[in-house]
Amino acid sequence: MEESLYDVFARKERGEPLRHVGYLNALDDEMARIYAWKTYDEERWFEMCVIPRSAIIPVNRTDGPFASKGSLQ
Amino acid sequence: MSAETTFKSVQDMEPAAQEGLRRAILSLADGKRLMGIRYSDWLLGAPSIETGIAASSMAQDEWGHARLLYAVLKDFGMDPAVVEHERRADQYANPDALDAPLDDWAAVVVACVVVDGALSVALEGFSEGVYAPTRSRVPKMLAEETFHHDLGVAWFRKLAAGSEQGRSRLREAALSMLASTLAWLTPGDEVGEAQAGAGLVPEGAILRLRFAERYGELLSLVDIDVGAVEPDREGWDPERGRGPGCPDEEAVARARGDLNRMLFVE
Repeated sequence: MEESLYDVFARKERGEPLRHVGYLNALDDEMARIYAWKTYDEERWFEMCVIPRSAIIPVNRTDGPFASKGSLQ
Repeated sequence: MSAETTFKSVQDMEPAAQEGLRRAILSLADGKRLMGIRYSDWLLGAPSIETGIAASSMAQDEWGHARLLYAVLKDFGMDPAVVEHERRADQYANPDALDAPLDDWAAVVVACVVVDGALSVALEGFSEGVYAPTRSRVPKMLAEETFHHDLGVAWFRKLAAGSEQGRSRLREAALSMLASTLAWLTPGDEVGEAQAGAGLVPEGAILRLRFAERYGELLSLVDIDVGAVEPDREGWDPERGRGPGCPDEEAVARARGDLNRMLFVE
C-alpha cells in the first residue's frame, strides 16, 4: 500500500480566500479527507478541502513548493 | 408515550425505567472511556503519523463524551466523581470486546467499526428518546463520531481489499467482537425492556437493524453475515448490562486516573 501526498486548504469564514494550512500523506482520497479534519482541527473551519499534490499543475515555475508530485522533498 | 413528551429529570419516571436508563448511560459512558483507552494505545503504533493523530483525536473525543455522560448520572443521585474515579474493574459496564488491549491494527479497525459503531447506534437511540438531558447532549457527539465511522470504514475496506492475511485478521477480530457487542447493544432482559417500553431508547430489534444496515455490507467483505450472528448472552450480568468479565486492571487504573491522582497535593 503506497501513500500519496495531499495538500490541505481551508477558510474560517464564508467569502475568505482558501489558504494552504498544511499537507498530509494518505492511502487514498477518503483517508486524506478524514486525516485532514482530524489533523488540522485546531480552528473552527467554515470549509476545508484536500487536493492530491499530483493534481496541482505549476504555471510559471517548476521549482515552487507545490511542484513536487506526490512525494515529500 | 409519544416522543414529543420529554422528561427533564429522571425523578419523573417510573423506577424500572429509571434503572434501565441509569444502566444504559453508565454502560455507554464506560464504553466510551474504554474505547478511548484502546484508541490511545495506538497513538504511536498506528500505520502512519496521520493515523496516529486520528487515533489521538478519537481518544480525546471518546473521553470527552464519557465525561459528559458520567455528568448526567448526577440526576440519578450518583456522584460522577465517584463513578469516574472509585469503581472496581468488575463494576465497569463497557462492551466486553474492550476488556483487553487490541492486539493489532486489524483489531483496532474492527473495534472502530463494530464496537464504536455499536456505541454510536446506542447513542443515536438516546437522541430519539424522551429523556431531555441525553437528547440535548447527543448531536455534537454524533457529529464527532461521523469521522470515527469514516476512518473505520475506510481502513476496513482497504485491509479487506488487500492480502489474504489482512482479510483473515479482520474476519477473526470481527467474529471475536460481534456476538458480545450485539448482546450489549440489545439487552433483552427486564431492565432493557423497561427502558425501551418507557420510550427512553428504541427497542433492541430496531437498534440491531440499524447496526446491520450500517455495517452489514462492510462485514460481508470478510464473509460475515451480521444478521446470522447470535448475540452472546452467556453469563449475562443484568446489573451491568453486559457479559460476565471485566476490563483489565491496567486499563481501569488508567480509566480512573489513578496515576494522575497520585500526583495531587492536598
